[in-house]
Amino acid sequence: MATPLIKLLHEHREELLDAWLHHAQSIWSGNGNYESLPQESRLRLRSIFDDIATLIAQTTPDDDFELNPEGALANHLHQFVTEQARIGSGANKTIGLMLSLKHLLSTRLFDRSEADAVADLMWLERIFDSLTQLTFTAFVDVREHLITQQSLSLLELSTPVLRLWSRILLLPLVGVIDTIRARQITERLLEAIARHEARVTILDLTGVPVIDTSVAQHLMKTIDAARLLGTQVVMTGISPEGAQTLTKLGIRFGDVLCRATLRAGIAEALLLTGQRISPVEERRS
Amino acid sequence: MPESFAGTKIPVMSAADIVTARRVARDLCERLGLGKADQTRLATAVSELARNVIQYACEGVCLIEDRSDSHTRRIRVQVEDRGPGIPDIPLAMTDGYSTSGGLGAGLPGTRRLVDEFQIESEPGHTRITIILRKPL
Ligand SMILES: Nc1ncnc2c1ncn2[C@@H]1O[C@H](COP(=O)(O)OP(=O)(O)OP(=O)(O)O)[C@@H](O)[C@H]1O
Ligand SMILES: [Mg+2]
Repeated sequence: MATPLIKLLHEHREELLDAWLHHAQSIWSGNGNYESLPQESRLRLRSIFDDIATLIAQTTPDDDFELNPEGALANHLHQFVTEQARIGSGANKTIGLMLSLKHLLSTRLFDRSEADAVADLMWLERIFDSLTQLTFTAFVDVREHLITQQSLSLLELSTPVLRLWSRILLLPLVGVIDTIRARQITERLLEAIARHEARVTILDLTGVPVIDTSVAQHLMKTIDAARLLGTQVVMTGISPEGAQTLTKLGIRFGDVLCRATLRAGIAEALLLTGQRISPVEERRS
Repeated sequence: MPESFAGTKIPVMSAADIVTARRVARDLCERLGLGKADQTRLATAVSELARNVIQYACEGVCLIEDRSDSHTRRIRVQVEDRGPGIPDIPLAMTDGYSTSGGLGAGLPGTRRLVDEFQIESEPGHTRITIILRKPL
């Protein structure tokens, strides 16, 4: 059955697509981009448009419309949203783009003022409701995924184990050390000690805001484990106030070597491994 | 004259709240012109008490108040919970005593860090009050 909407799409397909892409371009330019819409985005929008046209051609206004979440349209839309989210474009832009197509179609439909247009308008409404919903859900999915990824990599970033010199590792601790982080720090350190056959590990606490009994206990466990793998631990960066507080708390780090500054710690580590840094001899011939 | 003090009440329910309480304590010290050493000892004491709340009572509150007068700068911290209570206070105050496999240094250490220390505890209610003092 050729409803006015199907006829419209059939007769003016290219023109409608052009008008929509034109609109997409102006939304894109409004983003502060003066270049033209990237070719991939155009292609993606074109397939979305084609999918919508196909969908409309294959159903009727009376059908109970439900968007197949596994279908081509849902897929294309999801890919488009993913790209948009990755470049940091907001959900409102993408949803606005979908709604602009609805607006375009309904305006044109209205202009033709044929009989039955009302049923078609309602139909459009239903289709775009689902599309908007899908776009939004896809956006949230992608964002959540990105956020999880980022917080995982932040967690890893915050506990780097650096190979400072042959057989010397540096573990600069920054921020709050809770049970989860302490476990992660220990795991990464042990793995690095084994891999680099480290003899000395410098544990730098300059970036740890408060060393209370729980942090101290976590550190002790890390140090014990490191020692079992045959590395000596040199602790650096405890502030004078921090040292005072630790003493009051009654916490002693046993026979762990402590040095006030990272610099002194490195000197100690070099000494322990029988190495030294010496100035380049000036060559005079 | 009714007593009124500028105070901050911090709910203590998660590890993030410990960080908040610590920061409030540090900030108040700094505002009152107390040095790094005092900031650190108060922040550490607050950290110990707040962590005990989360560990043994699940949740509670931490009240940090400026109780200075014309002679003395004084910060009072009250950490309170409705948990099981501490059955044997002298034992809990002993260095190395812990029911959780900790160092058992939190309570005795905190007492050494601050200028005044007081525990009230019964089943269903524990309140620990600490005060840091500095003559002007
Ligand atoms: N708010 C509280 N409610 C109930 N019991 C508590 C509370 N605070 C402390 N306790 C009890 O007192 C004991 C000693 O506390 P303390 O803080 O000194 O050591 P800890 O928490 O076991 O170890 P850590 O050295 O890590 O603090 C605890 O093991 C616990 O049994
Ligand atoms: Mg404790």
